[in-house]
Amino acid sequence: MAVHPQVALLLQATLYELKKVTAWRMGFFVREIARALLRPLLTIFMFQAVFAAQGATELGGRDLDGTVRYLIAVAWIEGLIFHDRMLDLAEQIFQGYVTKYLVMPMRCFTLALARYVQFSITQTGVAALLGIGGALLLPGVWPLPVAPEALLAALVLALAGSYCFLLLYFLLNSIAFWLEVVWTLLVMTRFVTMFLAGVMLPLSWMPEPLARALEYGFPYWSIAGPAEILLGERPVSDVWTGLAVIGVSITVLEPLRRVVWKRGLARYGGSGM
Amino acid sequence: MTSRAEHSGKAPVGQPVLRCQGLQKVFQTHRRDPGMRGLLRSFVARETIEVPALRGIDLSIEAGEFVGLIGANGAGKTTLVKVLTGIVPATQGRSELFGEPSFELSDAAKSRLSIVMGQRSQLWWDLAPLDSFLLLREIYRVEKSDFDLRLEQLARRLAVTEQLRIPLRHLSLGQRMRMEILGAFLHRPQLVFLDEPTIGLDLVSREEIRTILSEINREQGATIVLSSHDMEDIENTCRRLLILSEGRLLYDGDLVKLRERLFEKRAIELHLEPHAAEPDPAVLAELCGADVQLLRSSAGALSFAVPAARVQPFLAQVFARLAVRDLAIERTPLDVLVRELFQREGEG
Ligand SMILES: Nc1ncnc2c1ncn2[C@@H]1O[C@H](COP(=O)(O)OP(=O)(O)O)[C@@H](O)[C@H]1O
Ligand SMILES: [Mg+2]
Repeated sequence: MAVHPQVALLLQATLYELKKVTAWRMGFFVREIARALLRPLLTIFMFQAVFAAQGATELGGRDLDGTVRYLIAVAWIEGLIFHDRMLDLAEQIFQGYVTKYLVMPMRCFTLALARYVQFSITQTGVAALLGIGGALLLPGVWPLPVAPEALLAALVLALAGSYCFLLLYFLLNSIAFWLEVVWTLLVMTRFVTMFLAGVMLPLSWMPEPLARALEYGFPYWSIAGPAEILLGERPVSDVWTGLAVIGVSITVLEPLRRVVWKRGLARYGGSGM
Repeated sequence: MTSRAEHSGKAPVGQPVLRCQGLQKVFQTHRRDPGMRGLLRSFVARETIEVPALRGIDLSIEAGEFVGLIGANGAGKTTLVKVLTGIVPATQGRSELFGEPSFELSDAAKSRLSIVMGQRSQLWWDLAPLDSFLLLREIYRVEKSDFDLRLEQLARRLAVTEQLRIPLRHLSLGQRMRMEILGAFLHRPQLVFLDEPTIGLDLVSREEIRTILSEINREQGATIVLSSHDMEDIENTCRRLLILSEGRLLYDGDLVKLRERLFEKRAIELHLEPHAAEPDPAVLAELCGADVQLLRSSAGALSFAVPAARVQPFLAQVFARLAVRDLAIERTPLDVLVRELFQREGEG
């Protein structure tokens, strides 16, 4: 029974997070399933319209079917990426709820980490259901993984990339110690990172130098990169490049997150108490 | 690694668990005038103001003590608790818990500490209290058998066994506060701060909570610091009293002695008939003898401090002279106490 206490706490906290998300079953389905379905459907309609308006048969190296497959794959993977709304840390800082953790013998980040673990478990489950359902209901349209290794590589990249997003959002939330504009920052960040990740536009539609540059960022390797591996547009072995980029991002983000948090605490007023 | 909460809740009696010296806390905040002009002005040149919440506190509390911390709203009670427990850093001065600087407490020191905030829940709003407690068990690393026993005992004593599985937000204020207290004592802390835990509760609940705290203090030797703006919370529970006023410790000492000296006063608040004439200053002067003081007078309301033994004759006099519609008598009012202490300071 030699579980490290921080790990035991993480497991227990994850269990609660799971309890919380499933507490309202209806809400859970609406939020997780419907959202996951809606995005790909809207994307398909939008790009059908784009192709129709252009009268084109090919854009950025993909035909309409290929583009649709790519965009579904991207939306599918995006579901696995840690969401800014998963953390309410900024709110807790403003309202003073965070104080309770400051007198407890634990790190505040452990609870955020529990959210990430819970989110990853839930969303992997949802993505699996969606993948099976999509393949059965939309044969020919739904993106099928070219190989089991490709599926595994995409999943690993997405979950590792998702951890970068957790670090990034935790860092941004900590800015609440100084500023009141955290929500604006979060929305902007979400917007920008989703652009960088190739969610809003396929990278192949962008100018070549920009697309090349984006391939050095963790957002790309969290979503578009895995999608391309999944579809066989990239070799599975590129997973190592992706993991290297993500690894570097984590080594930068992690100490940054710690410093910002520590500095924030030093100027915390504990208001709202 | 620290021991898995094997400590019994007792620290060696007679050693300071808390010590602070010259403690000061200044909050920075911004002033903004109301309306559009204020908004614009604050945009161009934001005016930073400093609020001194603590102005030099020296304090030492020994293991096993039950200390009452009293002060009017805004006196700095919460700030003192926050600085002592390391939630916020001090601006100046030193503060130590268990021999460690408050703002840099180790996990070992933190697991001997607990705090209950009347204004902010320590438990998780969406969870049933039991779920929160299980999480606390993990955080404080309490052995399962010990935890189960303790939970059962405390829940019974606080009369909340039935509510353990109901989400916190569905409980009444009083039940919630009992849950907070339960959670705070689960890991057998050696030092517990309770910041206005009885705020907003009815008289019976307040009395019960005070009784339970006294029992825990006596039986387990846990050091307790209980803050309140209401003297009644402190009067029958604490042996030692701290009076905080505008960020300074006005009094630190034995409660019984202070009571003998000062407590035998009553605050009498009078509401006059709405259409009666303003009370004649001569009448007021006559009512205020050597031992009766006029504390406040506003349109239609007067407030006096009267020695307990003189209440009856005073009231007879009042009814003879003034058109009284309503009156209230309050025991040991805080503002009377603070005023008296200030006066003594001035004299001595
Ligand atoms: N976070 C904060 N920022 C600015 N001023 C504060 C803050 N917290 C408390 N204060 C000020 O410090 C003083 C003491 O407040 P507090 O400790 O909450 O008093 P009490 O708990 O005795 O009612 C008050 O004047 C209050 O306005
Ligand atoms: Mg307070």
